[in-house]
Amino acid sequence: MTGRRGAGTVLALLPLAFLALAFFLPLAQVLSQGVREGGRWTSGRLAEVLADPYVRHLLRFTLEQALLSAGLSLALGFPLGWLLARYDFPGKGFLRAFTLVPFVLPPITVALGFILFFGNAGYLNRGLMAALHLPSPPLRVLYSLWGIVLAHAFYNAPVFARFVSTAWEGLDPEPLEAARTLGARPWQAFLTVTLPQLLPAVLSAFSLVFVFCFLSFAIPLALGGARYATVEVGVYMYARALGDTPRAAALALVEICISLGLTYLYLRGGGLFLARDGGGRPLSRVRFPSRPAHLLWLPYLALAVLVFLGPLGAVVADSFLRPWGGKAPTLSWYAYVFSGKSNPFLGTSPVGSIALSLEVGTAAAALALVLGMIVAAVLRRLRSTLLEALLMAPLAVSSVVLGLALLLAFGRPPLAALGRGPAAIVLAHTLITYPFVVRVIRPLWEGLDPALVEAARTLGAGRLRSFLTVELPLLSRGLLLAASFSFALSLGEMTAVIMLARPGLVTMPLAIYQFLSSSARQFGAASAMATLLILVAGATIWLWELAGRRWLARYGGT
Amino acid sequence: MRMKMKWAVLLVTLALGGSALGTELVVYTYDSFVSWGPAAAIEEAFQARHPDVDLIWVAPGAAAETLARLEAELASGGTGADVLLGIGDPDLVRASRLLKPYDPGLVPNLAYVPQEFLTLAPQGLALPFDQGYVTFVYDSERLPQRLVPRYFSDLLRCDLGRKIILEDPRTSSTGRAFLLWTVWHFGARGWQDFWRALLPNVLTITKGWSEAYDMFLSGEAPIVLSYSTDTAYSYLEEGSTRYRVVTLGGEAYRLVEWMGIVAGTDRPLLAHDFLDVVLSREVQELIPTTQWMFPVNQAAELPEDFARYAVVPEVPAELPPAEVARGLQGWLRDWQSLLGGG
Repeated sequence: MTGRRGAGTVLALLPLAFLALAFFLPLAQVLSQGVREGGRWTSGRLAEVLADPYVRHLLRFTLEQALLSAGLSLALGFPLGWLLARYDFPGKGFLRAFTLVPFVLPPITVALGFILFFGNAGYLNRGLMAALHLPSPPLRVLYSLWGIVLAHAFYNAPVFARFVSTAWEGLDPEPLEAARTLGARPWQAFLTVTLPQLLPAVLSAFSLVFVFCFLSFAIPLALGGARYATVEVGVYMYARALGDTPRAAALALVEICISLGLTYLYLRGGGLFLARDGGGRPLSRVRFPSRPAHLLWLPYLALAVLVFLGPLGAVVADSFLRPWGGKAPTLSWYAYVFSGKSNPFLGTSPVGSIALSLEVGTAAAALALVLGMIVAAVLRRLRSTLLEALLMAPLAVSSVVLGLALLLAFGRPPLAALGRGPAAIVLAHTLITYPFVVRVIRPLWEGLDPALVEAARTLGAGRLRSFLTVELPLLSRGLLLAASFSFALSLGEMTAVIMLARPGLVTMPLAIYQFLSSSARQFGAASAMATLLILVAGATIWLWELAGRRWLARYGGT
Repeated sequence: MRMKMKWAVLLVTLALGGSALGTELVVYTYDSFVSWGPAAAIEEAFQARHPDVDLIWVAPGAAAETLARLEAELASGGTGADVLLGIGDPDLVRASRLLKPYDPGLVPNLAYVPQEFLTLAPQGLALPFDQGYVTFVYDSERLPQRLVPRYFSDLLRCDLGRKIILEDPRTSSTGRAFLLWTVWHFGARGWQDFWRALLPNVLTITKGWSEAYDMFLSGEAPIVLSYSTDTAYSYLEEGSTRYRVVTLGGEAYRLVEWMGIVAGTDRPLLAHDFLDVVLSREVQELIPTTQWMFPVNQAAELPEDFARYAVVPEVPAELPPAEVARGLQGWLRDWQSLLGGG
């Protein structure tokens, strides 16, 4: 066993050295700017930032919208979880898979969908104005707090649905049956037995969603305007629009403290939830629709279709229906997106940005796979909370801060040696995605029967050979999944990219943002490119489903 | 690990391929200059002089954003930009640090530009290429006549709730001009009170002018912060005077737009020639109907309908560049605080 530990220690040095160079050092260098002035340590800038009414506004708004977003996500997601846990209906597998979509759907695509669908001049308002003969748009949700909250709910309601349905399906049916036998009406039994049992899962999901919304960037940036900005947007504005890195660093420090606190709360809550594993026989399910009471589900289903499918449908529809030279429907936007003609807002051609995204995604997925495998191997051998915290630390740092750290680090040695090409973006995406690789691979690896490896070793295979011929093939499904997941995450990631991008170095989501916000508002081009990203996200989910739900539930679920 | 990283990077770089090998001149500008402005006409005139040179426009965002990008690139190891075009005068002092002096002898058309402009700029670094007036524009089909603002105080009426679109002074030169206008009009203390009262009437504050104007055109709100030539634009382009310019008590904020040669360019002669093309009479006469601003070349003649509908305010508001350079960062910070209700 000591040999194994020794090998583990040597192996641990690899990712630690890499992270020290590419993550901890850049991060320390940027954050120290928030607490250093003229070569001396000071808390002055931190105090100054915290006293700034704008920063207070950012903090207040960020917390407020996160709370409301988590609340609305709960309201929209709980019924969906209920539906998945308690009913059987055609298309259920598809619906369950669909709840994974937000994990890989780029936020900028969602923001675009919301503008196209819920905007004052969007599909919904135009439809309502035509149907009801109204002179002005009746629904004014965008450009307000509620636009952001609704977009966050779109994103996070499925998280609730997954947590709630998993917990519900794992419930022991006996207490409920006992309550019913003792004369409780169904709603009484629900309130007094089922709901309290589901509470830990709901709280856990709530805190997770709260953290997601607290760190949200692309949605408030695209939908919020100057007044409705989150702390992430604030850091971005200080660093990139005002050129005030020290203030950006001080604000980033404040943000990291809050998000670490929130993440800790989530992990505590999550522990509670995960400890409760359903045993025994499963709950009986009801066929849907089979009773008149099921009609009560109709308003919810209509609302869900509107909120979830409306924006996505609007993006896809818009990519064909937006007129090009007065002609619609048209494929011209796709021709444009695949054209090699230089576009001034990108500093490259649209197809150049697609190529860059694919290259960055491939490189980042490959690196994340290697790094993730090594980290998983280390954590398998050495059980240490500190080591795990160090090796998974990039998970806890927001992408804007990571982007800012790498931006400055690439301006000086040693990272400057990697040049001014896409290396910084590849590195950022590697750091963002490898923790997910670890999360998928590790339980799978630990679940492998050690007898198999021992048998191979007994038969004379070396350590490397037994890894290559026995463990790797057994892990291959998980690796494929992890790689595709990393690839999809990298393709959709815009937050770190917007910090690191230069004209000419623009990925697909940033191209969408440029088409959307600053340029001639080329919505058609934005929609066509966003549709491509939706396709990639869909393909990843399809792969996920292919890998098998049961297999995932055992090893890699959420 | 580092080796692997380098390999991956090398592969990616190879796959991306080198940039074009022919001679290029890279011009950094702001988004609406390319999407609405005279970029195409300038390109044509430039190409007539230099058929073998590729003129590349790069517009990463609104004006102040483009400037911040260029600053960041120069601070972290260099840029591909040869010329920076579209510096609003609030940013003039800041942007001049990125420029190298031009040689007046290489820009013959400078002879037609009035001296008063050149005395505004830090000596010999930036050249003006157009000027205009920032003010409000309303949609006469959506805003009742009685609600049309004529004075600053009219903008605060409570029946204008969420009816005004503004641009962000942190990122947009139009937005920056309005911030300075309020400082000019209300003084260093009063402007904040005005803004506090104004915010409830603001639908949204966009990053740049194009986004704001596009929202205005698509009917999201009936009043937008824009330029005094907008009626001329809608008349000449669509034969309509639906979108109308108002000045506030006869005031509008004068904005001169500047350009210059980026320090460190290795194509200084081409860059000078580019500046000369922009100041040439043929391009300057296109400025009114493409950029919808006024030319700075005095030999350029205004189109008749443009002269009729484009508004020149009785009282042009303008803070001296030196005062702006001193105060702007503080005003922007105070403005941010205002958003927070401070």
